[in-house]
Amino acid sequence: MSAREWIGWIVATLAVATAVHIASMWYLPRAVMHVAISRMGAVNAIHHGKRVDATSRGVVRPSPDLLYSTCPFDLSKGVLEVKAPVPPDTYWSASAFDANTNNFFAINDRNIGGQPLELIVLPPGHTQEPDHIAGQLVIHSPSVRGLILFRTLISDEKQFARVDAVRRQANCGVLQPSSSGG
Amino acid sequence: MRLALKILVVLVIGTVLGLAATWLFVIRGAMPGGVSDGPWKTNLLIGNSGGDMMTRAAVAMHGLLALNRSETVYYSTYTDNSGANLDGACTYRLSGRDLPARWWSITVYGADDFLIANPQNRYSISRTSVTRDASGGFVATIAPKASGPNALPTNGETFNLTLRLYNPAAGVVADPAHVALPSIKRVSCP
Repeated sequence: MSAREWIGWIVATLAVATAVHIASMWYLPRAVMHVAISRMGAVNAIHHGKRVDATSRGVVRPSPDLLYSTCPFDLSKGVLEVKAPVPPDTYWSASAFDANTNNFFAINDRNIGGQPLELIVLPPGHTQEPDHIAGQLVIHSPSVRGLILFRTLISDEKQFARVDAVRRQANCGVLQPSSSGG
Repeated sequence: MRLALKILVVLVIGTVLGLAATWLFVIRGAMPGGVSDGPWKTNLLIGNSGGDMMTRAAVAMHGLLALNRSETVYYSTYTDNSGANLDGACTYRLSGRDLPARWWSITVYGADDFLIANPQNRYSISRTSVTRDASGGFVATIAPKASGPNALPTNGETFNLTLRLYNPAAGVVADPAHVALPSIKRVSCP
């Protein structure tokens, strides 16, 4: 084989390597998120995580100072309604992630305005908002599957039981069949 | 036939190289850097929809479900102030002052990105848990069997640190390379 042929085959190999590398990097976040959501339990339902310690292996880099609650969602089953009281005197946030790991929404105890969270999550392309959601926050998810994640800070061990009890009042579920939407 | 064999070899070697690059730079890699502040590194695209493909993949592997910068800024480090890799067998002095955020924490993670088991169940120091000295600053000890009020045990394992700034001050997002972050100095090694 001539030197020119060798160079051609090497260039072709590097082109394949580049394409595979890019494709795997595109796929990786989606695969990791899919696995994470699948491990969290039933979709469109709330799951309250236990206190984080060294045995917590569900999602990388958990914070031992936070209590996590999750609502993995699948909007093919309908519009998602999320309700949660805000624990007093501590950091709290609710955040939404799409199937590609993007954090497309976040609200915390300070900027929610002193009200409990009442959130509606609409699927991609959903243009007709339900008419009985006045006063509720409405967000559009970029993907059908995703995750609502609640973080509650344990800022004072003495308040742990009270804060834990409040965050466990959070709930989520399908509001209506997707066929009624636009 | 020989051509088909050559094409097959190109596809196999190319695929192996492409996956190896992803494994080396993303899966085996670290939390994505971008901006350095002493030994600490951050990337303001973490959690952001505008993040590039490499950042998103690295965050998925090493910091999944991270919040965007308006809510939280994350710094990580795998080295001490001198640039040497953090060694689980060594003792380190982590010193600093309160950080410009509503709430902050510094957490020790193992090489697998999870908390390191230790008898005291001590994994982090934070704005609300750290013990300060008379000047308002703090000193924490990172060591295999660290004990005391600001102890961060590593159990002798390879470790790294993540610093979280929840609701960071505006200056953090504006200039993340010049935040007064804690220093990490190696005290001793066996």
